[in-house]
Amino acid sequence: MKHFDLLIVDDEQRYADMLAKRLGLRSLTCKVCYDGRTAIDIIGKESFSVVILDLRLPDFYGTEVLIRIKQCRPETAVIILTGHGTEKDREQCMACGAHSFMNKPLDIDRLVAMMARIKERSS
Amino acid sequence: MMKILNRLPAAIWPRFHRNHDEHLNPYYTFQDYRQTWGMTIFILMMTALVPLVVMTLIYYQLIETSINTESLLRTERLASNARRAVTFFLEERLAALTFTVNEMDYDQLTDPGHLSEVLRNLKLGFGGLTDLSVIADTGTQVTYAGPFNLEGKDYSNQPWFMECQQHNACVSEIFSGYRDVPHIVVAVKSMRPDGRFFVLRATLETERLIQTLSSYNTGEHADIFLVNRNGLLQTPSQFYEGESHHMNIALPAYSDRTRAMMSVDRNGQPILIGYAFIDTAIAPTSFILMVVKQKAGMMKVWLDLRSNINWFLGVSAVIIAIVITLTSTVMVNQIFQADRQKAETMVAAERNCQLASIGQLAAGVAHEINNPLALINETAGYVKDLFTIKQQYKEDPDLIEHVDSIIDAVERCGTITRQLLGFARRFDVQTQPIDLRDMVADVINFHKKEAEYRNIAIHVDIPETIPLIETDRGKLQQIILNLVNNAFQAIDDGCFLDVRAEMVGPEQVRLSIRDNGCGISEDHLNKVFEPFFTTKKEGQGTGLGLSITYGLVQKLHGNITVQSKRGQGTTFVVTLPVQIKKENQS
Repeated sequence: MKHFDLLIVDDEQRYADMLAKRLGLRSLTCKVCYDGRTAIDIIGKESFSVVILDLRLPDFYGTEVLIRIKQCRPETAVIILTGHGTEKDREQCMACGAHSFMNKPLDIDRLVAMMARIKERSS
Repeated sequence: MMKILNRLPAAIWPRFHRNHDEHLNPYYTFQDYRQTWGMTIFILMMTALVPLVVMTLIYYQLIETSINTESLLRTERLASNARRAVTFFLEERLAALTFTVNEMDYDQLTDPGHLSEVLRNLKLGFGGLTDLSVIADTGTQVTYAGPFNLEGKDYSNQPWFMECQQHNACVSEIFSGYRDVPHIVVAVKSMRPDGRFFVLRATLETERLIQTLSSYNTGEHADIFLVNRNGLLQTPSQFYEGESHHMNIALPAYSDRTRAMMSVDRNGQPILIGYAFIDTAIAPTSFILMVVKQKAGMMKVWLDLRSNINWFLGVSAVIIAIVITLTSTVMVNQIFQADRQKAETMVAAERNCQLASIGQLAAGVAHEINNPLALINETAGYVKDLFTIKQQYKEDPDLIEHVDSIIDAVERCGTITRQLLGFARRFDVQTQPIDLRDMVADVINFHKKEAEYRNIAIHVDIPETIPLIETDRGKLQQIILNLVNNAFQAIDDGCFLDVRAEMVGPEQVRLSIRDNGCGISEDHLNKVFEPFFTTKKEGQGTGLGLSITYGLVQKLHGNITVQSKRGQGTTFVVTLPVQIKKENQS
């Protein structure tokens, strides 16, 4: 079974796909899903070192998915990537165990650097 | 003191007289403060002054009636007393003559020496007699005692002699006769032993009678005198002597007792007349006793008092009017100032709410644009990656696809920008034809995402038969936005929101916004449109949304009602005219 480095959860399909492609070009294998329920299912089956999670999902709010991930896979680093994150959201997510909180549009180099650090630390 | 002086101009010409802030008008409690001020002054003046004036007039009427009654009574009493005196004067002398003719026979009386003796005794006993004479039945004077020599004069044609023949006694009018001096003749008839008659005649001085009358004259406005039955003055009158010694006021009608009445003199001035037709017990007379009083003179004391009362009343009325005017002005101005403050707060709050709406809109737009921008960012980044990492160039279909993706994302941003501009234009204050369906759809669109996330079902039922309505776009949009916002705050996830429209007659359209949220309790239902009323936690709601909505609906000449049941949901119903009449536009 192919191991993916990270899981991207975002309801904007094209954005998620594009991000996956860009990270793929940087030798990072990504799996993509577009809603909270699927994300939780995938996490239950597979392990990822990093999950990139949007807050506004059609079925769950991002924090709920975050809590489930942390319950299921505490070692997984969850990076919140949202288009309209408030300070309150940031505080809430960090309290729930998120690794970091990033706003769209994304600086991909920063994300890659961050993932490199995570990989380094876990190995 | 300076404070009072500084406030004086505001009290005399307060601000509501020059209220030009028409934009505040929809929020005032009273629409026309000048009218309110006028009505207040009018009602207070009427309440204070009408009873005062009416009571004063009633008091005047009572006093005048009682003075008139009293004056008539006093005039009648005076006339009655004077009548008694005159009657007594004449009767006394007639009685003396009667006694003389009964005591002495004809021969004794025709003796000049004896007659002179009798005259002297009568003068001593009664006074007021000038002479005494005996007249035979032929009318010829037989014997005379007195200062004039009138022996042998013929009196057969004299009215008093003829009357004496008929009534056994007589009292003449005052006349000059042979002696050319005004006098009264009193005479009594007596029979001689041979069956013929003779008359004992006495001449009375008029001075005594005039003096007697004068003693009853009271006051400078009263006049007392005798007239005969033709109105000829018998004694002098101070004020009422007309042509040919006739009295210049109307002769009263006959009465056998003393009377008093109101009348007017020849100048039209009111007078009181007391009168009595004088008759003695032995013989009738032609005298009428007249007592005439000028009413103005009698009323002088009362009129002076009334003048003082009038002055007092006038000054009091002016003071009351000034106090009422100043008090009303200050009070109405205070209410106006408070109302104005409230209206200014409402206008400011409305402005704030508009700003809040724009802020909300901007946040919504930023959110909406952010997603396409993120996509642009990633897609453009990917294109760059293709150039820098993958080293792929043209003729790559994947590249074309991603460029299209960028263009598509830009197009999305463009759509959102257009919507934003369209929304901004809707704050114009001019009326224009508006499609209610489009407007509701626009507003719902702003909440679409939230509705999706919260699983709120939105039903819009606006029939195509609803015509374009002529109204203010910005205000109507804000009304709908506020009500939808309100509903979204009231409902839980999974509830529904129902927006319906229908015609009410040809001139009005009714828009209902119904939710099945928490509802409003009965206690709160009548307060929801009050400013600053909120059931939300402190800091979460200003309590202005619905009151501003209420103000906006009023501005559009419509009305808004609310029906709600706790736990079952709330329905706001806005009724608007299809066309705002031009002259009513504010």
